[in-house]
Order: sequence, then C-alpha cells, then structure tokens
Amino acid sequence: MISLHDINKTYPGAVPLHVLKDINMHIDRGEFVSIMGASGSGKSTLLNILGILDSYDSGEYILDGIEIKNLSENRAAELRNRLIGFVFQSFNLIGYKTALENVALPLFYQGVSRRKRNALAMEQLERMGLADRATHHPGELSGGQKQRVAIARALVTKPSIILADEPTGALDSHTSREVMQLFRELNNEGMTTLIVTHDPAVGEATDRIIRIVDGRIDGGNV
Amino acid sequence: MFDLLHEIGQTLRNNKLRTILTGISVAWGIFMLIILLGAARGVANSFDKQSSSEAHNVISIWGGRTTKAYKGYRDGRWIGLRNGDGDALKEDHPHLVSYVAAEASVDNATVASDREVISGGLTAVSPTAILNKKIPITHGRFINELDMQHGRRVMVLSESHAEQLFGNADDAIGRTVRSMGLGWTVVGVYSNPYARSKYIPYSTYKRITGNDDRAYQLDVFVEGLTTEADGEEAERNIRGTLARTHSFAPDDKGALWTWNRFTSYLANSKASGMLAVVVWVIGILTLLTGIVGVSNIMFVSVRERVHEIGIRRAIGAKPRNILFQIITESVALTSIFGYIGIFMGMVVLQVINAVVGEADGFVNGTVDLSIAIQVTLALIVAGALAGLFPALKAIKVKPVEALRDE
Repeated sequence: MISLHDINKTYPGAVPLHVLKDINMHIDRGEFVSIMGASGSGKSTLLNILGILDSYDSGEYILDGIEIKNLSENRAAELRNRLIGFVFQSFNLIGYKTALENVALPLFYQGVSRRKRNALAMEQLERMGLADRATHHPGELSGGQKQRVAIARALVTKPSIILADEPTGALDSHTSREVMQLFRELNNEGMTTLIVTHDPAVGEATDRIIRIVDGRIDGGNV
Repeated sequence: MFDLLHEIGQTLRNNKLRTILTGISVAWGIFMLIILLGAARGVANSFDKQSSSEAHNVISIWGGRTTKAYKGYRDGRWIGLRNGDGDALKEDHPHLVSYVAAEASVDNATVASDREVISGGLTAVSPTAILNKKIPITHGRFINELDMQHGRRVMVLSESHAEQLFGNADDAIGRTVRSMGLGWTVVGVYSNPYARSKYIPYSTYKRITGNDDRAYQLDVFVEGLTTEADGEEAERNIRGTLARTHSFAPDDKGALWTWNRFTSYLANSKASGMLAVVVWVIGILTLLTGIVGVSNIMFVSVRERVHEIGIRRAIGAKPRNILFQIITESVALTSIFGYIGIFMGMVVLQVINAVVGEADGFVNGTVDLSIAIQVTLALIVAGALAGLFPALKAIKVKPVEALRDE
C-alpha cells in the first residue's frame, strides 16, 4: 500500500534542516501501524509527505500503486481526496457547518450530488453512532464526538488509507481508548490505518510500531 | 451551482455584521450610480422631447431683409419666399432636397361657430407640418394628402379653441366653422399648451386667395446627411439657390433666416452623449469605492479563513475550487447589495419624478431595462475584480502551513 525508498527532505534556510534521512518503509494493505517519535523527530514531516501535503527532495514514494512525484496542485488534491482519509489532532472541522455537512464536504469536491452526498455522509455518521448529532455544529459536540465526526469525514470517500495525526492528542484517556477501539474496528473491516503519535499507549494499541529518531527510522528499514 | 450558493450563503451569514457593512458601501455606490444615471436620463429625455416630436432632417427658412447691395439692388430690400422657391430648390439639388413644404399665414382671418368668434388668423400648411411642429392630435386627424389634392376646406384646431367654439373637443369633429367668408369642416383637434394655430391645407389657401403663392415659411426636407459638415453644406446650397432666384448676395445672412434642425439635432445628441459618458465615469468612480471595500473585506475574510481553506485543501479542494468560491462569494456580495442599491435608487427616482413631474429640463428621470442590464454587468465585473486578488492570495495557502496555524 505504502512504499518509501530513500526518502530525503531538507527544509532550506540559513542553516538547512535535514529532517528526513534515507527513509525506507513499507506498509501492506490492511495493516494497522503507528509511527512514534519525539517532537522534532520528523514524524509530522513524514506524515505530510505520506499525505501528499508536502513534497520530498529525493527518493521514491508509491501509494496504492501510484508514484507520488512532482504532482500538480490539482492532481495532488485529487489523489488526497480519493486515496487518503485524514484525521487530525485538533479535528479540523469547519465550525459553521453541521456534522453532516462536514462529513459530506470531501464528496462536494468530487462533484457528488447533494442528495447522494448527504446519504453517504449519514451512513458514516450512523456507523460512528452519531446519527442523532447530524444537524449539530462542532461547537455543540464533545471532543470524542468531534473526533468521530472527523473520522466519518475521513471514511466518506472510501479511501485506501487513513492517516491520523495524534488523533487522541486532544482527548482524555477514556475517550482516547474509545477512539483507538474505533480505529481497531475499522482495521478489522480491512482499512489500512497509519497513526502518528508520541503516546506509547496509542502505539501499543496498533499492530506494528515504526519508531523515528532524528529523521531516521530506528532499527533500520521496515 | 445550488451547492455553491449554499456555501456562499453560509459564509456570508457566518459574518453578518461584516457582510452588512460591506454591503452598505456597495449598495451606496450603486445607489449613487443609479441616481446619477436617472438624473442624466431626465436631462437627456428633455433634450429628446424637444427634438423628437420634430423631424431632424428639415431646414426651415424664412424671408428677411437684405443687408448688402447686390446686382444693382439697394440693401434693406425685403425678400419674400414663394411656394415656387421649392421647385427651384428641388431642381437645383435633386439628391439633397426630397420635399419642400410651404407655409403661409392669413393673419386677419377669424374663425367662428354659432357661439364664439376667435381671432388670430389661420396657418396654411402641408400634411408634413405634423412632422416638424408639435401637433399631438387628440381627436380626429391632421390635414392629409387628399385634402391637399382636392383643396378641401378642412381645419385642425387646438383643444382650447375647440372648447371655446363647441363646448368640448369631442363635439368639434365634423362640425362646421366659418372663416374668410366660407364654411370649413373641423377634422382634427390637437393638444399643445403652447400653441394655438388653426391649420388649413396650403392648397386650399392658394385656391381661395386667387393663386397667391406667397409663403411665410418653407420647410426643406433634406436627405443623405450624416455629419455636421453635411448639414452646413446643405444650408449653403439652399441659400445659394435662393440667392440666385431672389438676387441677393449668397453671403448675406440677413436676407434669409434659416433654422437647420439637422445640425442642432447633432449638437444635442452630442451633448447628451457627453453627459452620459461623464455620468458613467463619475458613477464608476463612486462604485469603485464600494469595490475597494469589498476587496478589502475579502482579503480579511481570506486571512481569517486560512485554516478553513487549509482543511478544504487537505480533503481535496483544488486551487480552482477555492479561487472560484472566493470570487463567487465576492460577486454574490456585490450583486445582492448592488441590487438593493438599484432598487433604492429606482424608488428614489420614482419619488423625484412624481414630485418634479414634467418640468422643463427634466423629463422622466428613471432608468430603463437596458441601464439595469448594464449596471448588472458592471456589478458582476466589479465583484469578480474585487474577489480576484484575495482569491489569488487564498490559493497560495499551503495546506500544511494552514493546518499548523492553530
């Protein structure tokens, strides 16, 4: 599903910052993996590259059989929309839209009709047990509910992979466990899931942990 | 499209105060534009009204008194026009002169019914007089070609005279009046508060005065004129012919009085056109203030929504989606409030119109559909321009940075 070969990334500046050094990584379809590392280790940059939000300097990145290299903004947007479901630490829901509208938004950019969009979004909200919150705005939801809306949004396009950036970072431990349980269930249904975290408990809840230290994968290539 | 409008509705509603304040500046700009255009239209209409009821391709001429000695004649000689001058003009300038209508007056004639006698003379005219005089017929008809051919004794009266003679204008048609010792049938009544001429056919006048072909005025219908120079040239040609037949110096301005309706019409149109341009320029500049306001607000809006734009980009919005959304938002904002401005402007113009009425120099100062369409186009272009630069800024937003921006 994901295949990285010798990925390098340097942020230019007065003192260039070499954040990713010869990253080699392979993740199969249906895996449940966490990437762990301290802050500044380069794990967020790695996630951005994996999520086609950022470019890399050298190496090769293949996502679901597609080489991700020198993409136009439009093509990148299209691939993000089709292949990747994002879950963020701070949920990143749009405040003035209802839960249903937030979930349906990725489909809007696919040009799906309003009726079909809302039906698909409702389906995902039901799956998250939030059907009764469909018309609520994010401000009226609890942290756990917001994160489940965000997960519903990530799932609505039926992506190849879920990329989650510290998905439990803003949640209490009880809710965190619930959210991790949810990821586990999704993985059991076959969803390839990659979680970036610094929380050992979250890492423990996944099947495989990739540790990243100072821009290198700890213990060699995986 | 509906989805997009829904999106726009949400964002505009999300920032009510800001939307309304910006909207007011746009509405005000458009309001001023509409008022200006309406007022200019009122002035232009009054120009048109003065000239539209009259044919533009007419050069009217009257006899005068010579100011120069010429060919053995002394100066101060009276030049009287004749109906025959028309034939000479047509012969000399067959391509220029299409028709010449003579007009004569019978100053001492009275017109009488059973109940009233009115003095003030008669005016003998051709059917074409209706083209270059203000004779709005309200009852019956004007003098026609058959009247001319048969020398019929028919008369067209003003409304006030018809009322004096017969009680009311409706009753006048078909009734008989006495004038110059003969009976005349009233065939038409016209309404013009400033004119009271009593019209009879010129041919009838000639017949009953013993073939007198004196003409007080000649209306020369000219054709093929486009420029002011053409108009002046035509006037010179007419003057030249009459100078020859009446033996006065061609450059003797006093011998022949002329009114070139064609050149005055051109001058009027030119003035109207200039006025329209000036008004548009002022209006657009006023509108520009509103546009700068909208643009400014859209910049603020884009800045405030960097994070939201980042989210949208991350979940698959293409740059052109964002560009289109910001521009459409701007166009929607400009159009909605622009229309409020148009509406308010129209209401105020109607009020002004009702109060001022048909004053001299201001007639029906309202805007019509074509102006509304022009203003609408101007609004859309303005809105798109106002949104363009903020939108270009918005698509430069990098999703990574925007999402980090907590």
